Amino acid sequence: MFKKVLESISKSLGKPTKPAPAPAAKDKAAPAAPPPPAAKGEAPKEKAPVKPVAKKSAEELCEIEPKMNKEQVRERLKMLYRRHNRAASSLDAKTREEADAMLDAIVQIREKFFGEI
Amino acid sequence: MAEFVGIDLGTTLSGLAYLKADGNPEIVPNADGERLTPSVVYFDSHEDVKLVGSAARDGGDPERTIFQIKRYMDDPEHIVKIDGKDWAPSEISALILAKLKRDCSKIVGDITEVVITVPANFNELARKSTIAAAEMAGLKIRRLVNEPTAAAVYYAHTQGVQGRILVFDLGGGTLDTTILEVTGDNIRILTSEGSRHLGGSNMDDILLATYAEQYRKQVGAELYNDERQRRRALQASEDAKKMLSKLQRVSDTIGNDQSGLARIDLNRETFEKLIRSMVTRAVMLVEQAMDSAKLKVSDIDHVVLVGGSTRIPKVKQVLEKMFGKTPKTCGNVDECVALGAALFAKKSSRIQEVCNQSYGTLAMVYNAATGDESVQNSIVIPKNTAIPCSRTQMYITSEDNERIIEVDITQGEDTDPKFIDVIGRITLEVPPNRPKGCEVAVTFSYDENQRVRALVVDKQSGRSREVAVSYKGAGVLSDDELKRRSSFLKAMRIE
Repeated sequence: MFKKVLESISKSLGKPTKPAPAPAAKDKAAPAAPPPPAAKGEAPKEKAPVKPVAKKSAEELCEIEPKMNKEQVRERLKMLYRRHNRAASSLDAKTREEADAMLDAIVQIREKFFGEI
Repeated sequence: MAEFVGIDLGTTLSGLAYLKADGNPEIVPNADGERLTPSVVYFDSHEDVKLVGSAARDGGDPERTIFQIKRYMDDPEHIVKIDGKDWAPSEISALILAKLKRDCSKIVGDITEVVITVPANFNELARKSTIAAAEMAGLKIRRLVNEPTAAAVYYAHTQGVQGRILVFDLGGGTLDTTILEVTGDNIRILTSEGSRHLGGSNMDDILLATYAEQYRKQVGAELYNDERQRRRALQASEDAKKMLSKLQRVSDTIGNDQSGLARIDLNRETFEKLIRSMVTRAVMLVEQAMDSAKLKVSDIDHVVLVGGSTRIPKVKQVLEKMFGKTPKTCGNVDECVALGAALFAKKSSRIQEVCNQSYGTLAMVYNAATGDESVQNSIVIPKNTAIPCSRTQMYITSEDNERIIEVDITQGEDTDPKFIDVIGRITLEVPPNRPKGCEVAVTFSYDENQRVRALVVDKQSGRSREVAVSYKGAGVLSDDELKRRSSFLKAMRIE
């Protein structure tokens, strides 16, 4: 049913990829590619004025819809907890930070729907 | 010489144990006569000496004192600057390990090879940093073992229990939950789940904020204005937390030289409210572990508590309510990880472990039924697969005349690439003028030493490439750098 095509993220997003180096004599996994730096000489884009951003509620962060029943909420929280608990140990600092905020929201929703521990 | 040695390199306390001739493990005290060594390092400004342990924790200038370095073992940007020198977290940890090695060797003889424990959810960089720390301290790593696994080995050894055990390990900085099955002398790990920044020190921080708020209300000033004052207040809040595990209420007098003193009253109920969110997160981790092992609460025969923070009555109550049985401890909850690590060093062949993480690759996945397509993390070895193991997935190439096949190596169980780590890439050169759709087999193998290898085989040409999967990104010291820093540390005075 599923066809799995090898495809790196960079290709899938249509970004040009550098040709990979020819295999070295001694095999070792290459480090993960860092994000591409901004092109040299490119004029820095003017920063847009900062607009106040409405803080999302725990429901919005967890995408809990009013029509969801308790079982659906439980399943959603289970999936989100697994995802963000893992992300809290990510190698990427920003992902870790976002995960912490999500875990707080998940706990809030759990307490709201299923009561306090 | 001590042949089987285990070290618990903890967030707040570290300990070393060895296996005695009678087959029982024993904690080896440090040169200060303490069974456990606070994981604190102090860089003295007058003498060329690094203090490790209680002396470091209690005496020195807080600006030159390093606490809880374990929390930063996977942060390549966390550098400690002292007297113009940059110290990586692995180097600070190496000082703690060197103190343990030097002190304990005087009692049990030479220590060269050790098992070191790590939290179950330590990522690739944190594990590598721990190995680097050991090497810098002159220790060869026999194995890294997950902390709850070590504790469970000790529990099974001392209690002679059989059946399914859930180990709840709430330490200074992390929570780990492991479910394992004991049959005779054999132990099979079913799942290991961990949660970062969920430990006693997080509770201390919450209490400190409460202290600061109460102080502000009473005195109209800040409780602390510098690191030294903050450290004192933090120590007071940690002491109050410990007291509240024994008493229903505590009263404390706290303050600083500039603004005077204030009396802080705290009861257990308030403390439990303050940590409620953390306890909920802990319960969710236990549920996740149960879910991963496909077990119901009635399938668990024993619940075992490990780590100092399990002394908190609320933690025990919640687990008792959840499982309908009283959680057990195996002696001193602070020591059983090190003791279990020493046992593990001897018994590792009888312990069936699992993969700590899922490994896979990024692939464009088409669902022929729905027509949906998206780039996903395609898992080859799922987390919690019994090791050693080897798994293969077939993929096809995406473009005509593709000369280089690129296979990203991922770590993490989510299908969404945003929530996983790409820890390496394999490239394979293939013959020209081939249409898209050529088959490529990707095989991952995971051995007992938690080493992962990846093999990519182009089916048509038969060309292949195999690599050791090893994170080489930021924060990993090169072999030369490791050697240089090891010699530097060897000559250092560590007390």
